[in-house]
Amino acid sequence: MQPIQMRAVSLNTSSLSYKIRKQLRYGDKPWSGLLIGMAGLVVLLMFAIGLLIWNGSAEARLQAGLAFILPTLDASWNPITENYQAWPFIYGTLATSISALAIALPISLGIAVFLSELCPEWLRQPLGWMVELLAAIPSVIYGLWGIYIFLPQIVAPLGSLMSEVFGSLPALGLLFSGSIPESGQSRLAAALILSIMITPTIAAVTRDVLLAISSSQREAAFALGSTQWETIWQVLLPYGLSGILGAVILGLGRALGETMAVTMVIGNSIEGSASLLRPGYTMSSVIANEFAEAYNAMHTSALIYVSVILFILSVLINILARLMVWRVARQTPQEARA
Amino acid sequence: MITNQASANSLPLIRPEINYSRRKLANKLMLSFTGLLTLAALAPLVWIIGFVAIKGSQTITWAFFTQLPRPLGMAGGGVLNAIEGTLILTIIAAFFAIPPGILAAIYVADHPNTPLGASVRFSTDVLSGVPSIIVGLFGYALVVKTQGHYSALAGGLALAIIMFPIIVRTTEEMIKLTPRNLREGSLALGAPEWKTYLSVILPAAIKGIITGILLAVARASGETAPLLFTALGNERYEIGQIISSGIRSRQGVWSIFNRIIEQPVDSLPLTLFKYSQQPYPERVNQAWAAALVLIGIILALNIIARLWVNYSSSNLKGK
Amino acid sequence: MEINQSSRLTDKNRTHPFILSELDSQPQPSAQYPAFAPKEAEQIIIEIKNLSLHYGKFKALGDISMSIPQNKITAIIGPSGCGKSTLLRSLNRMNDLTPKVHIQGQILLDKVDILGANVDVVEVRRRVGMVFQRPNPFPKSIYENVAYGPRLYGIRKRLDLDNLVEYSLSQAALWDEVKDKLHQSGMALSGGQQQRLCIARALAVQPEVILMDEPASALDPVATLRIEELMHTLKKSYTIVIVTHNMQQAARVSDFTAFMMIDNPATRTGVLVEYDKTIKIFTNPENKQTEDYVTGRFG
Repeated sequence: MQPIQMRAVSLNTSSLSYKIRKQLRYGDKPWSGLLIGMAGLVVLLMFAIGLLIWNGSAEARLQAGLAFILPTLDASWNPITENYQAWPFIYGTLATSISALAIALPISLGIAVFLSELCPEWLRQPLGWMVELLAAIPSVIYGLWGIYIFLPQIVAPLGSLMSEVFGSLPALGLLFSGSIPESGQSRLAAALILSIMITPTIAAVTRDVLLAISSSQREAAFALGSTQWETIWQVLLPYGLSGILGAVILGLGRALGETMAVTMVIGNSIEGSASLLRPGYTMSSVIANEFAEAYNAMHTSALIYVSVILFILSVLINILARLMVWRVARQTPQEARA
Repeated sequence: MITNQASANSLPLIRPEINYSRRKLANKLMLSFTGLLTLAALAPLVWIIGFVAIKGSQTITWAFFTQLPRPLGMAGGGVLNAIEGTLILTIIAAFFAIPPGILAAIYVADHPNTPLGASVRFSTDVLSGVPSIIVGLFGYALVVKTQGHYSALAGGLALAIIMFPIIVRTTEEMIKLTPRNLREGSLALGAPEWKTYLSVILPAAIKGIITGILLAVARASGETAPLLFTALGNERYEIGQIISSGIRSRQGVWSIFNRIIEQPVDSLPLTLFKYSQQPYPERVNQAWAAALVLIGIILALNIIARLWVNYSSSNLKGK
Repeated sequence: MEINQSSRLTDKNRTHPFILSELDSQPQPSAQYPAFAPKEAEQIIIEIKNLSLHYGKFKALGDISMSIPQNKITAIIGPSGCGKSTLLRSLNRMNDLTPKVHIQGQILLDKVDILGANVDVVEVRRRVGMVFQRPNPFPKSIYENVAYGPRLYGIRKRLDLDNLVEYSLSQAALWDEVKDKLHQSGMALSGGQQQRLCIARALAVQPEVILMDEPASALDPVATLRIEELMHTLKKSYTIVIVTHNMQQAARVSDFTAFMMIDNPATRTGVLVEYDKTIKIFTNPENKQTEDYVTGRFG
């Protein structure tokens, strides 16, 4: 048998051609350089967004300072006199998001409990998928359905009912004072639609938290003679509390940033009333409505200043939520329920 | 305090019959309540999709898909500009989001505990929580302001930022799911890392990655807020016309391409939004029809992604 | 202190829907394995008659009959996979939690068939408590862990709960160790302490029978010994049924022993091979398979 002929390859490692050939053959350095570059891009992007809006808001920040965001009873938003106070928008965002959370919480808990504890095995995936589908519907379509169907048929009558029932109560009445416009455009409408939109988020995470709880906890509770509800309410939900809290905060984060559906149903006015039944305005809505036709550079800067507040709020809440959900993921014992 | 022996008889005796029926009632009530709440939550789903289907189908005609909008107040016309706009925007967004997304995900999957890896994870979380309107502002500041005009490019970039975190997250998870020995086997044969990834790992994870891409596309195609001040909208946009007029006036490929991506464009959700605000019933009807098309596309993407998931997970198990 | 509860079951003035079912006149002996009853005149608290259990198509337990005497410790031993835990879990209907389970036969608790249609599972589980292989205290304080059960039954007064908690923890030989830290988390205790906490928790609802599924297998030898001592004390007031893979433990601790095995490798159904006083099983068993197992020739 013939010996294998070795091809003579130059071993001169300092020659340029060798270096080039080596890179082409292995290409590890360019590859990891590429990876690091792309990874760096992600981090850069996050900083870039923050930086850009910070800079863009410089003019307004210098002029309006912190008074921009402070609560005030008669706020103005006047591009002509350049008197900008963002409190109505901040209030609108917070009021609608927190109300949406209050409405969505029991419903999401109910769904999560049903899907993880009560639902028959074969129904679990299809139902879970349908709940996820709620999250896939675009915001504009929620808005469209809101304007022409949900508001006239449900929100407007509900609003009139609420103003009758709650309007005259001592403290709570402030939230329900005044009457809801005929069109139904109000903070209530925004809160209701937002609650539908964030329910899938909270429900899905809560369901996962419950499913991850080891079955030994359930067994312990049942072996003591608990009913199913007692097990869920007194053992499982307290066990998963921090994860559920994380889910709730995640939902809050989503509600804060929602733009289109809210813009279409909230009425877009800075009336001055704190009532849920009256039209309002949110931070994202004012940006969406006014930015393209901003009056001048200061107006633009003021709007970007609003976006800075919104950005900081969303990012903080998002980080808080992730921390809580991560904490639960690390805490759950080895044996998870199949 | 009591001792073991004495007064053991003063211990309360457990008598289940005291609150037995109350416990059973509470149990039945609350459990049925959760079922009810689930139905209540799913009701809007059926309601919305139902109404969109009913109202939208009343206005869907062949012309709807193939014509540009008619002037305000006139009946008829279609949303071809929006459909093509959505297409272009999605292509641009995919172009900018997918390669960097996959590469960044590979880095994170390989080096999860380095400072850069942790930062990427953190940034992905933060990015996914940024309100879409702010993404639009970013796109405006970065592209529109510097170029001096609205464009599909700006809109596509904004949508890319929205798609990005989704792609990074799903790709990272899919890569982590591929068995370790695939990678080790390839490296042991002397293959460089880039080849290992391109020929071995990515093909193994491809179905999951495609699922992630489909879901990201579904999400991006439904976004409106980022496009409000980047793509802006354009009722005269029609790619066929651009290409044919470009050929007729002998413009180069590059300039035709430019004319396609450097104009403002409409998208289905954007058109939907604008029409819904207008006082003309024909426009509102078309908004419903556009909603139907949009939901159709998104549902289709979600269903395909689901089927991919089932297919891919059973594939992985087979290995 | 003995809390005598058997009388309540037959109390006709009771409105509790733990309904009496019709009793069969005679137990039906199965074809291969005769029904077992201890030969001495013990008071029987649980009687298992022709119990068969299927998980879907798989027959896990084959026609088991035995009588469990009151205030004694009965051990169930056998090689792994022979259905010991399944049998144990049938006694408090914990197998209901597993999907696709079919049970045939009867399990009579104080002469009432707990597998009957009208029987309330919640009450069964109160009377037949269970301690698991891995301690599973709730993520609550020690006090709240023990008070969980009594609270379910409407006991709200602070004094009552305090007394019950102290009594249960004393019975579980844990009171002295935790009496100063009742409000610390139950999960902060050591493994052996957690298991005794679980025992105290089970005792707090005043059961008649305590089932123990390999209670010491996750514990170190010192903790194991304490649990075994505890069992001797507890059997004065309660009936104990223990599943263990540790033969020496069964020999040390139990009065009666049941030996189970797989009938054949094809079907892998668990059957009861022999059941008698522990002394007999370990020194002079009737069945050759029993003898092989206890002398360590297999298993």
